Amino acid sequence: MTEFLHTFVGGSFDLLLRVFLIVVPIMVVLELFEGTRAFRAVVRAWARVVRHVGLDERSAAPTLIGFLFGLAYGGGVIVREVRRHDISRRQVFIMSVFLSMVHAIVEDSLIFIALGASIFWVLVYRIVWAALVTLALTALAGLWVERARRRRGGGLDG
Amino acid sequence: MPAPDDTPPGAPLPQPPAGFWPTVGRDLRLGVIAGLQTFWDLAKVMIPAYGVTLALQQLGVIGWLSNVARPLMSALGLPGDAAVPLVVGYVLNIYAAVGSMQALHLTAQQITVLAVAILIGHNLVVEGAVLHRAGMNGFAFGALRVVAGLAAAIVANLLIGLLG
Repeated sequence: MTEFLHTFVGGSFDLLLRVFLIVVPIMVVLELFEGTRAFRAVVRAWARVVRHVGLDERSAAPTLIGFLFGLAYGGGVIVREVRRHDISRRQVFIMSVFLSMVHAIVEDSLIFIALGASIFWVLVYRIVWAALVTLALTALAGLWVERARRRRGGGLDG
Repeated sequence: MPAPDDTPPGAPLPQPPAGFWPTVGRDLRLGVIAGLQTFWDLAKVMIPAYGVTLALQQLGVIGWLSNVARPLMSALGLPGDAAVPLVVGYVLNIYAAVGSMQALHLTAQQITVLAVAILIGHNLVVEGAVLHRAGMNGFAFGALRVVAGLAAAIVANLLIGLLG
């Protein structure tokens, strides 16, 4: 039990430090550059890509952060965006599905590439797979929401 | 924790500061506030999830699940032992999974196939907690990542075999 507590406290500290050292700089950089032309150009370019899985321009920034740095950090930005503007549940759902399939693209992929995995399958194939799963699940969820709405006799929200 | 911009509807907007440096100063302040808030949001769900993960490991759940998953491995063209890094990845994280992969002797194709499965599904408890914080069902997403990851790995194994 002391062994367990020891691991838990040490591991928690490492985890918190890691999250802190990544989240606070990301938020500061976002806040500083969010309004700049260069940042908006990057987000707009990324938005043109993720439009194909059903994400709008507002969801582009959180998706980009998660895609590059990791689900936890992207999730953090999603939580922030949801708190600030009203992002629809549908958009949060699409972001969550896409990011749960592919995130921390550099760090996570590099570990396996270093181990000898093929770059094509680990990166290109996985991104294509993530896009397909996202499209399929969004369509399914849409049908399901529509059916639930009809059964309730035309509620206002889904 | 209340949102920093939690002003009542209809309230006049605060004047934006004039000039470059005051703007930078305001942005830094807002960034640090948002960072700390997000950090706290994540910490609240990640630390309990990490505790659950450790408990699962201590209770021997990894060994038990690996035995359950063992027969599945042949569908991926992997030896039964490959179930261990897969389950280690699901419960713990990518680093732990890579660590337990070192003990196996896998071909390049097997490493790639296993990598695809683990890259899609890993750290399910902690990352599920984060998705939960974003308003999603963490359990459903965990199941989705396991199923979609295994399916992606099976397809990759077939395609690599076909394409040579």
